[in-house]
Amino acid sequence: MKGRFVISLIFAFMTAIVGSAYAADYPTKPITLMVPYPAGGSSDVGARIVAAIAEKQIGQPIVVVNKAGAGGQVGWTELARQKPDGYYLGGINLPHLLTAVLDPERKATFKAEDIVPIISQALDPTTVSVRPDSPWKTLKDLIDDAKKRPGQIPAGIVGYLQDDEIGYFQLAEAAGIEMRSVYFDGAAPAITALLGKHVDVLFCTVADNFTQWKAGRIRMLTIMDKERTKFYPDLPTTAELGYPTVISASTRGIAGPKGIPDPILKKLYDVFKNAMMTKEHMDRLENAGMPVKIMVGEEFVKYYWDSYKVAKKWVDHVRKK
Amino acid sequence: MEALQYWIQGFAVATLPMNLLYAFIGCVLGTLIGVLPGLGPAAGTAILIPVTFSLDPIGGIIMLAAIYYGAMYGGTITSVLVNVPGEAASVITCLDGYQMAKQGRAGPALGIAAIGSFIGGTFATLALMVVSLPLANFALRFGPPEVFSLLVVGLSLVTGLSGRSLLAALVMTLFGLMLSMIGMDPVRGAPRFTFGIPPLYDGIGFIPVVMGLFGIGEILLSMEAPVLEVIKTKLTDLLPKREEWKVSTGAIGRGTIIGFFLGLIPGIGAIIPTFLAYAVEKKVSKHPEKFGTGVIEGVASPETANNAYANGAMVPLLTLGIPGSPTLAVLMGAFIIHGLTPGPFLFKERPDVVWGLIASLYLGNVMLLILNLPLVGLWAKLLEIRYQYLYPGILLFCILGAYSLNQSVFDVGVMVAFGVLGYIFRKLDWPLAPTVLALILGPMMERALRTSLEMSGGDLSILFTRPISAVLLIAAAIVLLTPAVRLLGRRAGKD
Amino acid sequence: MKKPWQITCIAFVALAIFWLVVSFEYPYKDKLGPGPGFFPFWLSIITGALSLALFFQITRGKNAMEGSATLIPERQGVLRILAVLVALVGSLALLDPLGFRITLFLFLLFLPLGLGERNWWVILIFAIAGSFGIFHLFYYGLKVPLPMGVFGI
Repeated sequence: MKGRFVISLIFAFMTAIVGSAYAADYPTKPITLMVPYPAGGSSDVGARIVAAIAEKQIGQPIVVVNKAGAGGQVGWTELARQKPDGYYLGGINLPHLLTAVLDPERKATFKAEDIVPIISQALDPTTVSVRPDSPWKTLKDLIDDAKKRPGQIPAGIVGYLQDDEIGYFQLAEAAGIEMRSVYFDGAAPAITALLGKHVDVLFCTVADNFTQWKAGRIRMLTIMDKERTKFYPDLPTTAELGYPTVISASTRGIAGPKGIPDPILKKLYDVFKNAMMTKEHMDRLENAGMPVKIMVGEEFVKYYWDSYKVAKKWVDHVRKK
Repeated sequence: MEALQYWIQGFAVATLPMNLLYAFIGCVLGTLIGVLPGLGPAAGTAILIPVTFSLDPIGGIIMLAAIYYGAMYGGTITSVLVNVPGEAASVITCLDGYQMAKQGRAGPALGIAAIGSFIGGTFATLALMVVSLPLANFALRFGPPEVFSLLVVGLSLVTGLSGRSLLAALVMTLFGLMLSMIGMDPVRGAPRFTFGIPPLYDGIGFIPVVMGLFGIGEILLSMEAPVLEVIKTKLTDLLPKREEWKVSTGAIGRGTIIGFFLGLIPGIGAIIPTFLAYAVEKKVSKHPEKFGTGVIEGVASPETANNAYANGAMVPLLTLGIPGSPTLAVLMGAFIIHGLTPGPFLFKERPDVVWGLIASLYLGNVMLLILNLPLVGLWAKLLEIRYQYLYPGILLFCILGAYSLNQSVFDVGVMVAFGVLGYIFRKLDWPLAPTVLALILGPMMERALRTSLEMSGGDLSILFTRPISAVLLIAAAIVLLTPAVRLLGRRAGKD
Repeated sequence: MKKPWQITCIAFVALAIFWLVVSFEYPYKDKLGPGPGFFPFWLSIITGALSLALFFQITRGKNAMEGSATLIPERQGVLRILAVLVALVGSLALLDPLGFRITLFLFLLFLPLGLGERNWWVILIFAIAGSFGIFHLFYYGLKVPLPMGVFGI
């Protein structure tokens, strides 16, 4: 009995040493960072920025690879399949990944547990945007009007069952209104539609409409966050306007397939956290209109599963109708 | 006038030695990237973004823009020489361009493409400088219903590509539409016709299909010939003949207008302007039946249109901050990484960047012309490499290109499969262009129709009550029904 | 000489029928209008109908397409085509397991030989340049990821 105990102790000790030695060696070859969206989009831009900075610290090239398709599903399917040796990482977007997994119609071949979040980069809250000449000056105006003509106001939404649609659902439920949802594949066609008067209100994120806001072509009614954002300091939050439960955001981060050994994970936490906290990273992301939010390890994992619950509520709401 | 002052300032910026150098490097790199089938301007530009990180913003943007339209021309080179279109914009060029190359006239084909591209691009840039904002605003009125109707018009023009059999062209179009339904549908985001194969979730992949049908199919076809002749090009044949110059002028003029105006509409994609220009050219031609056998207008027209389109698409990008295509989205990403936000704000805040870029576009067009015209002879000579090396080499780049799209061997497989199909179709004289067109237009049409219905709450009449859309649909009906009526008329006459 | 064309038409009809059957899995209508199954359904029907029409047009000899070329190339041609196909399919199968460099080295070795080239030295140089050389240029130079096989090559 005692002998076995000693042996397992020694074994555990050796594993720990080998494990950390393993980690000490890591990385010995280039690391792939897969972006599940096309080149040039905000996810891609964010990934390239952080990769360029992190690779200097980690000592090996971080090669950004685009595996776009099916709203990210193609890329994440690939990520879940990869060996958890720390050499293949992927960008993830929440809640996009979660709704892909939860929505039975998407026929995802991977599960939420197959992907382990490592660190988040940006948290991009949903906003309610209108044209500058729009008759709605405040959120209340919009809600009152929507109550008068339910299902009539064309509201643009970026993506199916993604952050913007969840934002719309939350608002619709809290305010008791219904609008006419019009879906767009990406921010660009959605904004074009708003500017071209094909929809009258748009649910999109800060990063999506920053360019247009700077140009004065878009005005916002509210932002779905707990605190005001420094990008739009004069913009009241949903909490301030009486809807504190209406919170929605698109969160971007890096993840890996399930099973990456702890020592390697820890190294990844450190490297990416340092890279993201550099002035260069912060500045570049801010110039792009992307609000930086760094959650590392456990914190991000918790966020992941909290978002899962919210996503589940709304996916069920839509699919069980 | 204020604009003139900015223009001069812009030239001052663009002609700074470093910026000239960047533009030049961009043109060269872009052409090389374009020559690689499958790599395409979008992927190529994205790859080179990190390279430009180390440059100052203006220099970086100039280089990227140069890479972008350099790549457009590079795509033309492979279309003409080996019938492998590097990306959507070059597909139509294959039809006559490759035929000309087979007749030993690769030189004039490439030459007129370079000249047409230059003229188209230059005029588009001039128009960009003069009319940007009001035009861009007008183009915003093209919402989903208008886009749908425009696409219907585009699809109806397939009757112009019918080759020998209208019925076969229709079947091929439908085949393309059926293929385009593979993948996530635009209605609920659920996968269709994927049979549980994950790479199919995003559809069957336009580039591998096109590379297979056109490129590999052609190579297999070439392997048949009892004696594989090396295509010799005489130096004297490097320039177009006199009659060819004359018809090309008209083609270039029409191509420029069509390309530029379609560039203003965000989200159209490069194949529509090239295809529309080609179809229009064929309709106004005195010898429409010769299209597809190697007529020079068949090259001049789409090539001019695609450069005019590329430059025209800069209008919504620079004035409104809306990227009209995935490639421009990459360019916009580059702007953003460098801390510049495209849009009217940029015009006010950093006129040096905007006007410098515009002036550099113009200079870039000139540079491309100077670079490429002399090289035409060189490119044509490449075809003289012995086939035992030439074709394996081409296939090497096809494999490379198809793989690099998504780092997936599946795409290479699709390319090979469609290569075999392309060979069979070519042997039996079935037209390939309608399939390719339908493959691109299919998803766009379904999406546009769906979004239109969402806007109207399920009411189809939205397509007819909006003026632009209604006009386009009537035009499409006319185009589609005329041959059908003629066909029926002939039948009735016979009986 | 109508057989090949007739066969192609029938193949299209078969594809149309298959598509039709699969399209039944997708909802036809949706609260707003056509569902995912709507277009595939009608497309397959129209395709099937037109392919049948084409079949009859060809059978009655009224179509301009058929009889345009000699269909089976002569022996050398067939061998060359086979060589290309074997090379392509082979590289497909080997690309992931063996990686880019080895697979394309073999490809560029085999194909010129298969097409009749006999100059071993040039072939060898060509094969090395095309596989290892290109790989180096793209992977290290342009940072385009290319497959590395089981051996990490």
